[in-house]
Amino acid sequence: MNVLEVSDLKVRYSAKGPEILKGIDFEVKDDDFLAIIGPSGAGKSTLIRAVNRLVEPTGGRITLLGEDVRNLNPRQLRGLRRNVGMIFQEFNLINRMSVMDNVLSGRLGYTGNLRSLFRAFPQSDVNQALYYLDRVGLSDHINKRADELSGGQRQRVGIARALMQRPKLLLLDEPTSALDPKISREVMHLIRDIALELKVPALCNIHDVQLAKEFCNRIIGMQDGIKKFDGATETLRDADLEEIYAMEVL
Amino acid sequence: MASLDVNPAAISLQADLRRRRFTKMGLIWLAVLLFIGWCVSGTIIADTDWSRIGGRSGVLASIGRYLTLDIGLFPELIIPTLETFMMACVGTVLGCFFSLPVAWLGAANVTPSKTILYPIGRFLMVLSRSVHEIVWALIFVSAVGLGALPGILAIAMRSVGFISKITAEAIENIDAKPVEAIRAVGGNQFQVMYYGILPQIYPVVLATVIFEWDINIRRSAVMGLVGAGGLGLLFFRQMNSFNYGGVSMVILAILLLIVLGEVISHYLRKAVI
Amino acid sequence: MTEQAITAKLPSNGPTWSRYRYPESLYRFGTLLVVVLFLGYSLHFLNVDIAKLIGALGRLVGVVSDRYYPPDLEYVLDRGYLAAILDTLQMSFLGSFAGVCLAVPLAWFSAGNVTPHRVMFPVGRLGVISCRAIHETIWTILFVSVLGFGMLAGVSALTMFCIGFAGKLFADEIEAIDMGPVEAMQSAGANPLQVFLFAVVPQVRVAFTGIAIYTWDVAFRAATVVGFFGGGGMGWYLKRNVQQLENLRVAAIILSIIAMVLIAEFLSGYLRSAVNRAK
Ligand SMILES: Nc1ncnc2c1ncn2[C@@H]1O[C@H](COP(=O)(O)OP(=O)(O)OP(=O)(O)O)[C@@H](O)[C@H]1O
Ligand SMILES: [Mg+2]
Repeated sequence: MNVLEVSDLKVRYSAKGPEILKGIDFEVKDDDFLAIIGPSGAGKSTLIRAVNRLVEPTGGRITLLGEDVRNLNPRQLRGLRRNVGMIFQEFNLINRMSVMDNVLSGRLGYTGNLRSLFRAFPQSDVNQALYYLDRVGLSDHINKRADELSGGQRQRVGIARALMQRPKLLLLDEPTSALDPKISREVMHLIRDIALELKVPALCNIHDVQLAKEFCNRIIGMQDGIKKFDGATETLRDADLEEIYAMEVL
Repeated sequence: MASLDVNPAAISLQADLRRRRFTKMGLIWLAVLLFIGWCVSGTIIADTDWSRIGGRSGVLASIGRYLTLDIGLFPELIIPTLETFMMACVGTVLGCFFSLPVAWLGAANVTPSKTILYPIGRFLMVLSRSVHEIVWALIFVSAVGLGALPGILAIAMRSVGFISKITAEAIENIDAKPVEAIRAVGGNQFQVMYYGILPQIYPVVLATVIFEWDINIRRSAVMGLVGAGGLGLLFFRQMNSFNYGGVSMVILAILLLIVLGEVISHYLRKAVI
Repeated sequence: MTEQAITAKLPSNGPTWSRYRYPESLYRFGTLLVVVLFLGYSLHFLNVDIAKLIGALGRLVGVVSDRYYPPDLEYVLDRGYLAAILDTLQMSFLGSFAGVCLAVPLAWFSAGNVTPHRVMFPVGRLGVISCRAIHETIWTILFVSVLGFGMLAGVSALTMFCIGFAGKLFADEIEAIDMGPVEAMQSAGANPLQVFLFAVVPQVRVAFTGIAIYTWDVAFRAATVVGFFGGGGMGWYLKRNVQQLENLRVAAIILSIIAMVLIAEFLSGYLRSAVNRAK
């Protein structure tokens, strides 16, 4: 079963601007932990964001959880997005809110406006938040403000927030590149363990080829908006890497 | 001494430059003085009846009339002082409510329509500030009659411009990342604003509101001059009955109120930050 | 994972969480309650009917279209009124010029870091604060009662207003300067005036120019109403027509005020950016 199928995906940010994605095809199977690697500016973040239409695709077809993403109205789109957990390079937390509220905000897609207004999340959501906060090791920081945490801790909040959605797919946009190497490895471990445990497939942008090889079962290589490589991690050769990163070598 | 051996041509060039700069400055100041003179002759000289003012002694005598205090007025001061304070508070809060939609329309990154509603929002901001509070009060007195209500409305309208302008600027300068996160979890428009935008802007907005509240106490004190209640009305009455000691009492009350407002806003600002 | 599964995984004596904490939440809600009660009581005290308040805004449109439409534009294009606009402009120039000139020394006295003398500091502070504290309309009424009706009173009131307005901004600006040059001048034996002229003025000149232009802009706004209280200019026409219930003329006058204020604001914005660029 494919959770996500993308065919001939094209994106430009403005009508006259350059085409950032020039027709990308791939699919994510329901047990994939898929890495997207490629040089800076290749369009990795754009690709991830096009999947749940944080960036509007300009061509091609995206089928996510059986739905044609590009044909959804705003309401349906929100319904789809709440099934997709997203973890960001720079954590994207609400700095002035507490850790707990940040984690609870993962439930907003399931919460009505009145409850949102008073931040009155159901007790079951609170229990779930407590569980995931414990799972990512933040039980001692529940009432701190998000901007009082270290980088690694913030990303753990981001992970807990994404898990709150009970996601059926995880989209990770360089979840570790703002962290130092040791913390990066810990965070990747955490994400992969949870993904395996919850049986959630993941699509993960990653700068560091080493990390990709270590944690992911499949790798897609991109360069300048075009897919250059797609295959199991073991099949990635140095020659492929050279091709993917050709621009950087030159 | 070798160090004094300067080229005479350089010296004269220096002197020349300096002379030219002096001439330029002189001309500018001459122009300014002529302009001021023209203004003086057009307004003060043409419009003043010096004999009626009555010379230095006349002026001093007129000022002297204010240097007494009509202590007997004290009981009558309390209620208008309270009214003035309350008008400022209610007017500021109402102004905040009016500012919300205006800021929403007038912030380029969240406005629902860039071509129609955005210019309307911007125009409302300018309109609110370009009409003096006295004129707003006149408009509302004629619309809803005498009393505190027109004063409150006038203060609210006058506050909208500044509060919404700063709020819109704060919205335009927010960090887009939390907003993206809320959109990604499937949040709707309201949730995006309430969770993504509001936490980022509220310290700025609150500081602005406190600042505006402080100014609104001043404004509130003169609303009565055109029939909108508070200390202004008492001031007007004392002035009309030539009770100069009473006028001084009212001014003293205004000063006290303003000092109080200044102190409160100082502490509030600290609490916000 | 289902809800039950998660609840089951939570240790029964494990962490619990509540949004409300004693005593922070109590203080917060207490403050909120006090503020809301105060506002509610104020509405009651001021005899404001909420229904009327909401109705007032709806009525506003009705009143404006009934009484104030169409504005009598011919009236504001009349020679006499155009002259009043010129008067208002001239008054605003004079008031802001005099006010700015007086505000500079007061700001110097009242700037904590370079004040010439301990005694001067409170003098400067008090001067600026009292000019600020009293609204320009009250200044106008006071000056009218001393100097009689007319533009002399108006200009004097605007001067006081500008001292208060510019004085505070000037003083803030002076307090933010780099103290290095000041110390250099002081150690060279300069007296306070010399320190001010050679160490402070060069640092604040551009900012002061901008503030002076802004002061004029704000003074013009105030100048449009000083006439209402006997200070001459456009406001006097406003008062006369308000009293005679000439609503169409009032509407036209208000429109002309808005137009002039917009022009002044545009001009001042342009000049200020020009000053900043020429810096
Ligand atoms: N919002 C935007 N508007 C216009 N152009 C954009 C926008 N975001 C990205 N781009 C452009 O799209 C191209 C791809 O950017 P993208 O962020 O997808 O690259 P990336 O592969 O994620 O790079 P990195 O590894 O540095 O994160 C870049 O050339 C960038 O300039
Ligand atoms: Mg990226």
